Amino acid sequence: MLPDVTAVRSLLSGVAEAEAECTSLGVVVHASSGDAVAILAALKSSEFDFAVLIDLLGTDLGDRVEITYHLRSFTRDEDIFVKSSLPHGGTLQSASGVFASALLPERETAELFGLVLAGHPNPKRLLTTEGQEPLLLRSVPIRTVKEVRDG
Amino acid sequence: MSPRAAEHVEHTATGRMVFDVGSQHPSTHGLLRLAIETDGEEIVSAEACLGFLHRGIEKLGEHRRYHQLPTLMDRGDYLSGIHGELASALAVERLRGIEVPPKAHWLRSLLGEINRIASHMAWYGTFGRDAGVTSHFFYSMRDREALLDILEAVTGQRMTFNYVRPGGVIADLTVVAESKIRRFLRTFDAHLDEHQTFLGGNELLQKRLRGVGVIDRDSAMSLGLTGANLRASGVPYDVRRDRPYAAYSELEFGIPIGTTGDAMDRYLVRIEEMRQAARIVRQCIEGLPEGAVMAKLPKALRPREGETYACVESPRGELGVHLVADGSETPRRFHYRAPSLFAIAALEQMLPGTLLADAALLVGSVDIVPGEVER
Amino acid sequence: MALDRSVGEHSLAFVKREQLFDWARRNSLWCTTLGTACCAIDGLMNLGGPRFDIDRMGVLFGVSPRQADVMVVAGTVNRKMAETLKLLYDQMSEPRWVVAVGACASTGGPFREYPNVVLGVDRVVPVDVYIPGCPPRPESVQYAFMQLQEKIRRQTEERSAARRDGS
Repeated sequence: MLPDVTAVRSLLSGVAEAEAECTSLGVVVHASSGDAVAILAALKSSEFDFAVLIDLLGTDLGDRVEITYHLRSFTRDEDIFVKSSLPHGGTLQSASGVFASALLPERETAELFGLVLAGHPNPKRLLTTEGQEPLLLRSVPIRTVKEVRDG
Repeated sequence: MSPRAAEHVEHTATGRMVFDVGSQHPSTHGLLRLAIETDGEEIVSAEACLGFLHRGIEKLGEHRRYHQLPTLMDRGDYLSGIHGELASALAVERLRGIEVPPKAHWLRSLLGEINRIASHMAWYGTFGRDAGVTSHFFYSMRDREALLDILEAVTGQRMTFNYVRPGGVIADLTVVAESKIRRFLRTFDAHLDEHQTFLGGNELLQKRLRGVGVIDRDSAMSLGLTGANLRASGVPYDVRRDRPYAAYSELEFGIPIGTTGDAMDRYLVRIEEMRQAARIVRQCIEGLPEGAVMAKLPKALRPREGETYACVESPRGELGVHLVADGSETPRRFHYRAPSLFAIAALEQMLPGTLLADAALLVGSVDIVPGEVER
Repeated sequence: MALDRSVGEHSLAFVKREQLFDWARRNSLWCTTLGTACCAIDGLMNLGGPRFDIDRMGVLFGVSPRQADVMVVAGTVNRKMAETLKLLYDQMSEPRWVVAVGACASTGGPFREYPNVVLGVDRVVPVDVYIPGCPPRPESVQYAFMQLQEKIRRQTEERSAARRDGS
């Protein structure tokens, strides 16, 4: 389930500046947003064989948006999480060249967190209509009881 | 991709044409719009346009208490509510460190498998319709009604059960429900054989499904497919066996895998999964332990600051909940990993090169639920 | 045939053209189904199944909006879908009716707080019958169709009464 943290550290030391730690989530690699895709590629081709991007999500941390990549190796049955953070309205570098499964979740994340998607073959809006504000940001409120009633 | 397509279009002068299937179309199993570009009978490219059912399950989850998350998850993957509830409950339990009574574990497995058969039956009925068979829909609905009766007897609802909660399950199995399950199990295997003779044994259907919509092992993995779609491509990964939750570590079941990853394999894997699910139900009903079904919990759960990911094997694949807690009564981030979303990406890759007539069949063969695609 | 039962065999029935049309219309409600979410499974798919068998009431699901009398909206409608919904409604020929199945279609349901969700179908098209439930049981939808038949009958009566009073 958990890959060896020291082995991950030694692997990544040759790729980019990144910190690996063991948290309640599992082994988490913190990377800068510019290095994230290179780290994903390195993890995929390493002996860990993280061949699958299981999930990709954004989290609004208030001052910035954190992107979490969730990788899995079927051969060793291990998970690893790569996190990078972007400023609001920043540019999300597409990982779809490394993992095809990032295609749709990236579009969704970029749209719902108001990010710009770069390097994606089809960086259109996915879920909402034109002009809709990024709905998953914490600064965008949900309807109040009064708004629902008066509509 | 398919040599059949090339033979057909060889003799005719054709032009390119784009047309839309959906957003409201019987063969898209809900609200999915496929912009399909064709050259004669052959599909050149396909693009899925989503968002017709985007209703903010993730956003609303950030404004709900931890106890209320199963209510939202029910309506995500509405064909298999129990699995959605279970994933969110597991995530909350993991964050808060809740000990679940053993009987609740068994009931979760039991209801989960009953729900899996019900969900596969709905897929099976509509899949036949996609193939042009109408009458067998009524036979699959006969079995589905029996299953919905069981689910109703246990949970009180036919769908959107709200049965699995953080800390256990909400109600024990009643005598009536147990006898209903036993009655169902007596006939189910024979019914499944009957279904197989109807649809799977039909030579025309086999000819239509063999070699169509092939996803090989590597592209299945790179597309992030899980569940029956992945296993049909020959990857023996099942969350129930590889990361056991509920009572699955104590249960025996087989994991069917395919060889070629075509539509026929996906069909056969799902049929066999139903048989295995019935086997699990049988074991659960025999081995059900005694005891409480719900742990004692305070009214408001306040997990410590932290982050967790919990996943279950839903009928459509790995259904995960990624939960970020900030110490308050509501989650900071509630993310729903929907297996159908990845199946849509696979569909976009699978459709080019096939015949237009097979498009509806292929949409059916990956088994998507728009409710969880768009959340 | 039902007309036999109401007037007796080998007898003549003198009815107004309007009444005849109304009778035919009421008993063959063809629906264009806008099954968006969960309600479409329990409210429509199971309803068309062998146990509830809505076909025996003359209700036929899944025809194109141009041939349909009733639009059944089952499930949440969001801003993106509302455009399609309006388009489909405009394609239906008069007289037309709309049934809103479930809490979402009636008011927005459990998703009413999300800014992208439309607060009920009646913000987009006029609704004739609302069905409560999340999702409603198939019996509720059956009952809703009986209510709709009743409403159509009443509408015809009111129309002819108004004409009688006017002349």
